[in-house]
Parts: sequence; structure tokens; C-alpha cells
Amino acid sequence: MIRTVLLAGRAGLHLRAASRIAVAAALLPAAVTVRTLDRPAVPADSVLALLSLGALCGTELILEAHGAGAAEALDSLADLFATDLDVAGA
Amino acid sequence: MMPRCRPVLEPRGVRVREHAADRVAAVHRCADVLEELGAVHPAYREAMLDREWAMSTYVGEGVAIPHGLDRSRALVRRDSLAVLRFPDGVEWDGATVTVCVAIAARGDGHVALLSALARILLDPLRAKGLREATDPAEIVGMLNAEDEP
Repeated sequence: MIRTVLLAGRAGLHLRAASRIAVAAALLPAAVTVRTLDRPAVPADSVLALLSLGALCGTELILEAHGAGAAEALDSLADLFATDLDVAGA
Repeated sequence: MMPRCRPVLEPRGVRVREHAADRVAAVHRCADVLEELGAVHPAYREAMLDREWAMSTYVGEGVAIPHGLDRSRALVRRDSLAVLRFPDGVEWDGATVTVCVAIAARGDGHVALLSALARILLDPLRAKGLREATDPAEIVGMLNAEDEP
């Protein structure tokens, strides 16, 4: 199962955003991978792997998960990537 | 939006034999070097310390990336990097840091550098190479060369 989302964070996928997403990904019912058009798929629960994508604001992210809980896992991670995590309260 | 100029690491921004008693002292040294490079206003130091306390900048593999806060972007004079190597290690919120990559960035140009650094650290052999490198030119070469997609 695949979902595509555009990165919303104006400052790109930096350390704080990547940390927050990796923690959320580790708690999901299914393992999710993320890739860009330039970079191969990496596990969403690894901070270093997420940073390696070098994703800037507006970068297309392709999320993939399989099996039980995949849809739920993709929904919640897609929501996080589509939120500017630098905005207070986000 | 700020231009996406990528901060480039210069040999004079690399210090291979640093010592720090603790994480705070190490962040101060990072701020010292960024100031020496003319990269930041002196007040950037406080932002780096605040950012470090808000959440550790440890990224794994013995590497931390001290930097400022969103609100301290105006204190950056020139997007720059510094690499400080602490051969004896510095206790860092439960981890041991031997390399600090200090970042001063106004826009998102440093995201490419983070990507380059992360790809080095995900490769155990190259991560070890970065931690143990003692030649500034070698460190500059590793980080700047990794910048290609």
C-alpha cells in the first residue's frame, strides 16, 4: 500500500522533525518506509534514515506499508509529514 | 524564502583535537568556532545552548549537530559549518560524542548537509572513518563530496 505526501515543513526535514516522525513511526501497527524521487526507501522509524532523504519543503514523499494496520500507519505518518512541525502547537 | 545556498565546510572550520568537560562546554566550543569563522552574532551561542536543552542534538554514531533555533536565524551572518572532534569523547545525555558538526543556517541549505552526514553515518565503515579522521582536509572531503544526490 502506497501513499504520497508533500513535505509541509518550511525548514525541510531537519533533526527535530525527523525525531518526532521516527518516534511516531516506531509506535505504529505496521512498518512504514519513505522514499523520494531521488533517494531509495528507508525505514520511517530511523532518525538518520529520514535525515538521509534530504527532503525540503514541498518534496514528494512516497510512503509504503504492508499488512495489518498498513492503512492506519500510512494515514498517521502522512498527516505528520503534511504538517509544518515548526509551527507552535503543531 | 531564503535562498537554498548550501553551507560549505572549509578546512579552517575543522578542529581535530578538542577537549570539553561536558556537553555544555562542547556546545560553547562549537559557538566559539562559528564566531571565529564570522558565521554568527555572539548571541547565537545562547540559542545553541537553548536548542540543546530543548532536545539533544545527538544523531547517533557518536555525532551531535549543535545548532540554533528557528528564532535565531537572524543571528546567522553567513551560512556555515564547523566540525569539532573530541578524541576523548563527551558525555551527551547518555551517549558519547566524539564529533560535533556545528551548524549556522538561515534557510534550509543545511538539509543537504544533514543528508550527506546521515548517509555517512548509516555506513558503519564511513562513520568510523569520520570519527577517527585527524586530517581536516579528509573531513572536508568526506562531507563536501557526499553532497551529490
